[in-house]
Amino acid sequence: MIERRPAFSAAFAPEALRQLAPIPPLDEITAEWAWGDSTGKGVKVAVIDSGIESSHPGLSGPPVAGYVRITEDPDGALCHDTSPHADAFGHGTACAGIIRGIAPECELYSVQVLGPRCGGKGIIFAAGLRWAIDNGMQVCNLSLGTTMKDFFGILHELADLAYFKNVMLVAAANNMPIPSFPAVYSSVISVACHDLKDPLLYYYNPEPPVEFGAPGIGLRVPWLGGGWLTVSGNSFAAPHITGIVARILAKHPALTVFQMKSILRALAANVAHPNRDTASATS
Amino acid sequence: MAAGGQSGGDTLSVARETIARQADEIARLRRDLADERFARELRDALTVAKTVGTVAAPVSHDRLLELIVGTATQVLSARGASLFVIDEETQELVFEVALGEHAVDVGKFRVPLGHGVAGLVAVTGHPLAVSDAESDLRQAAAISEQMGYRPQSLLCVPLFYGHRIIGVLELVDKEGAPAFAPKDMELLGLFAHLAGAAIEQSRTHQDLTVLVQQVVHSLGGNSKEERHELLRGARDFARHTQQTDASYNQALEIARLVHEIVAHGGETSRAVQTILRGFADYLQSQPHPAAMATGQ
Repeated sequence: MIERRPAFSAAFAPEALRQLAPIPPLDEITAEWAWGDSTGKGVKVAVIDSGIESSHPGLSGPPVAGYVRITEDPDGALCHDTSPHADAFGHGTACAGIIRGIAPECELYSVQVLGPRCGGKGIIFAAGLRWAIDNGMQVCNLSLGTTMKDFFGILHELADLAYFKNVMLVAAANNMPIPSFPAVYSSVISVACHDLKDPLLYYYNPEPPVEFGAPGIGLRVPWLGGGWLTVSGNSFAAPHITGIVARILAKHPALTVFQMKSILRALAANVAHPNRDTASATS
Repeated sequence: MAAGGQSGGDTLSVARETIARQADEIARLRRDLADERFARELRDALTVAKTVGTVAAPVSHDRLLELIVGTATQVLSARGASLFVIDEETQELVFEVALGEHAVDVGKFRVPLGHGVAGLVAVTGHPLAVSDAESDLRQAAAISEQMGYRPQSLLCVPLFYGHRIIGVLELVDKEGAPAFAPKDMELLGLFAHLAGAAIEQSRTHQDLTVLVQQVVHSLGGNSKEERHELLRGARDFARHTQQTDASYNQALEIARLVHEIVAHGGETSRAVQTILRGFADYLQSQPHPAAMATGQ
């Protein structure tokens, strides 16, 4: 006799049920437990942006571990070129520099979706995100987004896919009074900027869609041709959280997205903590 | 036999001439009718255009862009500002207007999307501020590169219309400060959001005005094909302007209200219907407003 059971229930059958390791109670979590001594070593971080200038002196740590450049043929077909590429604008290098400043040994992957032949089209952006999810990335830095409603559905589907595969999507919120995807989805970690400089100091916002605030004002970041620029914008706040997430994952690789959000909230500088006297998340 | 044949041939010839003359007359009458219809439709289109021009575009498109850039410059105490619109076909930013002490007439130059801070903002859709006294920001600022001016700080925000990015507003050098503040970015973002809608609406109106001008200027060309094209253009124009006409929008608003009231159900609908019918009857019984205005 064939046992008929809905597929989604299969994971809860006695022989299939998995026992999982606990995490400490939230009020016992400390920065030391979460990311202390971690360099983000071995954590795969995709920078979905304009490329990364791997030779820039501002990028400490191991070389860029992998590249993919996504373009669109004249006939509309998408091409994935995995040979090394440069940064088209400087924006991706800036994000990578901030991430490496916090998680110096994370594995960086450059997913180029902004560039002369990439345009900045939503379809290419979505293809870049799909590549990252399908190729084992653990964290994706998204210091960009699209406001085009045509892409609401496809990006939402990808954000859900990432959530269920434990791929952390860290997205810069857009300060413009218009919804930007995927930053407004509940499954991503959305970030805006505050004007403090401590790279590990971030806040939690109890009134989403923007959930976290990280440094993003007047930051000196690596740019094109080995140069540096002082920049401001939410684009540069997201990589701070990406770096912190990479450090946490290096110590606790089995965390789910909802656990990660809970840990981030517990350690935010504006959340009262029994083991912390002042509003500081640094460690 | 021969004479009779000649006479029959004359009659046939006369008949043929008469038929040909009548055919010409019919064709002339048809042309006149077509001309009259064309003239009437064109006149209607121009009348609507004039109305819309008065109501919807109190300033010219170029003046509107100057106003936007000027307001942004003044409100945020910037030393200069420039505005770019996106050319979707060529994937370029087209420089439209610049203000400030270093602003010179550099013509309508174009930069590829992604070039400089403005181009980056156009593709990411995220506002971006750059400040760096040590670095040469000319590469970062598209307009400054053209003018040979070296700014100390930049603030760049996208211009949206609906959910689409249509351009970029770029401010250079904050008066009395080394950089633009986060508050400036927020304020300019809100301002740009309003400006984007105004620019797109103005641009649509400008396109229609150009079309009418082309129609009027082409009236000398009388070939059948040209006439057909003109008529088609005038019809399209009239159709479009009807959608943006102020009175049309007022009627639409009243329709919306009625629709809302009707949704409340039978008694409410009947009550409103009675009131509106009574009011319409009253208006019909009164002298026409135009007649009253002239004292008739």
